[in-house]
Formats: sequence, C-alpha cells, structure tokens
Amino acid sequence: MIHLVRPSLGLVGRILVILLLTVTVEFCTSTMLYERASQFSLREDEAHRLAEHLVISRKLVAERPLRERAMMASLLSTDRYDVRWSPTAPPSPPMAPQLREMRQQIVSWEPSLGDSSMTLRLKSPGLNSVVTGAMTLPDGSWLHFGTRDVGGDWDLALGRVVLALVPALALLVIGSLLIRSTLKPVRMLAQAAERYGYGDRVILPEIGTGEVLRVIRAFNAMQDRIQRLIADRTQALAAVGHDLRTPIARLRLRIDMIADGAARDAMRRDAIEMETMISSLLAFLGGGDSDQPVVRTDLSVLATTLVDDAADEGHRIRYEGAEHLEAHVRFYDVKRALDNLVTNALRHGKTVVVSVERRGDLAVLRVVDDGPGIPESRLEEARQPFVRLDTARGRNTEGLGLGLAIVERIVQAHGGRLLLSNRPSGGLQAEIELPIEGPPPVL
Amino acid sequence: MTSSTILLVEDDPSLRVLTARALQENGYVVRPAATGPEMWIAFNAEPVDLIILDIMLPGTNGIELCRQVRQKSDVPIIFISAKGSETDRVIGLEIGADDYLAKPFGTRELMARVRAVLRRGGMDRQSDVDRRNEARFDGWQVNFPRRELKSPTGAVVDLTGAEFDLLSSFLHNAQRVIARERLIELSRTRLGDSSDRSIDVLVSRLRRKLQNEGGDAPITTVRGVGYMFNSEVTRA
Repeated sequence: MIHLVRPSLGLVGRILVILLLTVTVEFCTSTMLYERASQFSLREDEAHRLAEHLVISRKLVAERPLRERAMMASLLSTDRYDVRWSPTAPPSPPMAPQLREMRQQIVSWEPSLGDSSMTLRLKSPGLNSVVTGAMTLPDGSWLHFGTRDVGGDWDLALGRVVLALVPALALLVIGSLLIRSTLKPVRMLAQAAERYGYGDRVILPEIGTGEVLRVIRAFNAMQDRIQRLIADRTQALAAVGHDLRTPIARLRLRIDMIADGAARDAMRRDAIEMETMISSLLAFLGGGDSDQPVVRTDLSVLATTLVDDAADEGHRIRYEGAEHLEAHVRFYDVKRALDNLVTNALRHGKTVVVSVERRGDLAVLRVVDDGPGIPESRLEEARQPFVRLDTARGRNTEGLGLGLAIVERIVQAHGGRLLLSNRPSGGLQAEIELPIEGPPPVL
Repeated sequence: MTSSTILLVEDDPSLRVLTARALQENGYVVRPAATGPEMWIAFNAEPVDLIILDIMLPGTNGIELCRQVRQKSDVPIIFISAKGSETDRVIGLEIGADDYLAKPFGTRELMARVRAVLRRGGMDRQSDVDRRNEARFDGWQVNFPRRELKSPTGAVVDLTGAEFDLLSSFLHNAQRVIARERLIELSRTRLGDSSDRSIDVLVSRLRRKLQNEGGDAPITTVRGVGYMFNSEVTRA
C-alpha cells in the first residue's frame, strides 16, 4: 500500500495562520488608533512647551538692552529650540493650515503671546517637520525661533512597535502549544486509523473536546462494527467450508461404489478438487492465526521433508543450503507456506530447487523454478487472494488462487516477508524471510 | 481369523450408513452409533476391536469420549474430523487416539488406516509398552503420541510418517542388529504405506536428519544384514 503524503500546513499550521492573521490585524488597527491618539496629544504637548519657552524667551529678551539681546537669544537656544533675535521683521509667507491650529494651541495656552503677531512656518516639510517662526517683541524688534529636529520620534515609534510585538509573539507561542494539545486526540485518531488498516484493532481513549470526542467514539464504534462484520463473514465462510466436508465425504464414499472405472476416477478427482478448494479456503481464513504455538523448528529438515516427498512423487526437485537452521516459528503454518511455494513451483517449472539459509537475523526459505515466471507488472497481483494469473490455461489450474495469499498471510503473521522475483535466467524465485527469534510479540 | 468388530460413532446418518457399508464390504463387523450414549451401550454390550470416532458430535464431543474410553480400555481409536487442522490431529493423538483421519476420505484411505491400526494394535499390545511415552537418546527427544522428534537444542525435527516409524523401530530394538527385511516388514505395518520407497533411502534420510554438529547419526550399517541403532535409549 502506498501512502502519498501531500505536503500540507496541517490543522495546527492553519489555525496558527488564522491566529497570526487576527493578531496582526488587531495589532495594526490598535497601533494605528493608539498612534493617532498619541500623535494628537504629542502635538498639543509640543505646542504647550513651545508656548512656555516662547513666553519666557520673549520676556527675557525684551528685558535686555538691545545689544545684549542677540547673546541672550543664543543663551536661550536649547536642544529643542533655536532662538535668535533680529531688529527687523522677516518675510512672512502665508501660514500653512496645520500651523494655524498649532498657533491657536500656543496662544490658548499662553494668551500673552496673542498680541505678538506670531507667525509660524514649516521648514523642509516632510522628513523632519521643523517649525520655524517669528514674533514681535513689545518694542517692535523680532524674535526668531525654530524647533530643532524632533527626531527620535521614529525610533520611539519603532520601539513601541517592537514592544507591542513581544506579547503578540508570546501569545502566538502559547496559542500554538494550546492548539497542539487540543488537537492531540485528532493526531492519535489519525495514527489509529492508519494502523487499523493493517489488522490492528486500536481502541482510543475517549478524551478531547466535544467534536473530537464524538469522532473518537464514532471511530471506536466503527472499528467494532467492522471487526464484527469481518468475523461474522469469516465464521460463515468457515462454517460452510467445514459443513461441506460431510457431504463431500458422503460423495466420496458413494463414488467408490460406482462400477464404471473411468467415470469413478473422474468423479473422484472432482471430489478431491472440491476438497482441496475447501482446505485452501479454510487455510486462508485461518491463516496466520496465533493459536498455534511458536516452536523451535529445524527449517532445513522441514524443507528436506517436503523436497523428499515431492521427489518420491517423481518430480525433479532438490534441496540445497544449510543442513540445519533452527528458528522459532509456527511449525504447521510454515510447513504449509513452504509447501504452497513448492507446489506452485512444481506446477510451473520442470526443475525446482529449494534452499534454506541464514541471512543476519533472518531465516530465508527460497524456492526457485525454471518455469515462465510471472510478468513483472503482475508480481504484486500474484499475492492477492482469489487471483489466478494463468487464465489462458485456466482449465489446468486447480484451487481458488489462494496459494500465495496463504503464504503471505502466514509470513506476515510471523513478522516476515514474502519476496517474489523473476530470475534473469528465467523462472520464478520465491523467498520467505522469517525472523529467527520468532514472531514479534502481539501488542 | 475372525472378522474384527468396529464401533462407528458418527452423527451424520448418511455418512454413518455409507461408512458402515464400506467397512462391511471389506469384511468387518460394524456397530454404528450416533451419539456418546449410544456408543457406550454398544461398547459395554460386546468387546470391540476398534472405535472410529467423529470429533464433532452432539452432546459429549469425540475428544471427551476418547478420554473416557482411554480410562477404561486400550482399544484402538481412529479419530475422524471435518476440521482437518494439525492442532486437532495433535490433540487427538495426545489424548490417546491411534490415528487421525480427516474428512472427507475415500474408501481406500479408510481401509488402509483401519487395517494398519488393527494390525499395529495386535502387534503392539505385546511389545510396545510405552505407546504414550517418551524416549531419549544422545540428547534427542522422541514423543510417541505426538509422533514428534526434538533435537538436543530443543528444535522440532520434521519426520515423515515412514521416517518416524523407522525411528521407533530402531528405538525399540536399540543396540541390536535389525535385518533389512524385518525393517521393511515393521515399516509396512504403519499407515499401510504402499510406496515402495526402498528402506535404504529411508534410512539415509533419517540419518541426514539425525546428524548435527555433535556428530553422525547413531545408525550404522551392518553389511549384508541390516542396520543397528547404537545409542543408549532411555525412556521417560
């Protein structure tokens, strides 16, 4: 069975993306709102400070005699404000509307500045909004001022953004952990569903949130139903198989009473074929069941016995390989599996070689024939139950097409593998790999 | 020789009639029974030489009946079962049945088994004292009822019926020379095996299975006479 895993974000990924999206949108909007509000208060702040500075500067400069005023003005220049004095008025272009608002804020904060015919100008607008301006002193001379680059604002904003991002990130991490744990039952379910196909019955603990719980309950119930369905069918089929044996037994005894030799022999062959079919069906249904004990077995001797029997029946078959190789297996199952391979090989080839050898932790039972082999494209199909590959000469083929399927079942129940391949020199090579230490324990 | 009496326990009426007829045609006296109680009536009425017992019976099953019979008598028993599984066969032989016949069977197969068991029963009664026991030699272990051989390492060593019979013949005549003719005769009594596989081939196969790292099999050829099993056999 091939599992195609499509690369996908997964449920956790998807939920995380949703979370990320919501958090980002929320963050952006709240930042914007916050920024708006703080910008407004910042500007008002700015206006108030400027107003205070201007009031003081104006007073201090006005109090000085004319020649000291320039010096006083430069003394009043700070990191933020630039103050100069000049006896004449500057050219005054029309004020930008934003500045008009600022002027109003300044004036409303320090009404004494109202009669100073203050003008404000925006210098190099855009990047650093530097506001410059001028106002008259009581004696008609002019005080020029300018705010110095109120930089740092951007850094401040960035810092705030980063700061605000930290809890968002923490939220994401916590969120993903919570989601993972919430989805844990779903992961378990997926694993269980995967394993179920291979014959394991996995009853899941009923944990998780409401929806997941329902799925788990449904899954457990479904497993039970499937199990029951299969068991019922198998039992029915097996019962029919067993029950058919009595009428066939009657048939065989009746056949033996027939006087006509040719007809009797033909009917006997038919009855025996029916019997063979039933036997293989029952072996398939019961194949690989674990009620047979695992015993230490000499596989080489087992193979030799089968080879000797076939040789006695006149087949060209020989054994090669180890004289003795012991492994822990279900004796009759393995014997049947090897017998099926040998029977297949003898049916399709003229010469058959059987061997048993050790390969690491594995015992390898190999049956090689010199027949036509199996087309590469149908090697997999050959293991399927009820598949007979040689439909072209189907009349010669007896049985139900369960031979290799039975082998496969038995071998799988041992935790081993059945390998089929065509030999370069022609013919089929069938290998059974069995763990020497025996089947893995059933969980 | 008077004809042997066979007690046939089979619940399927037609099969019972057919089997009885087949046996009668071959010269046996048949007493049919359909259930356990019927069997006991027939069994207690007159001595029988052989019981043919179906495992699947209504009421008391064949295995239980066999156990009960064994407590009273050594009469040979042949099991018949539609299950045909190896586990069944082993259980049957272990609780004291002499042979096992899987359903469906033909007349020839049935007669061969009946003849073999009757002949063996006649001979074994005197000689085969430990039909239900075990024997050991050189670390090897033989279980007679299960017809099973285990190597010194404890591994099951698969033997054909003929090979096992040959081995038992050797074990019962350990450290004595057995003539080839006698071996052939002995091996023929089992299973009515009609294959004319030569006794020498059989011996060489058994030898091959019995040899291991510890050395060769303890079977030596005595030129012109036969074979000898030269290892000490202990019985458990």
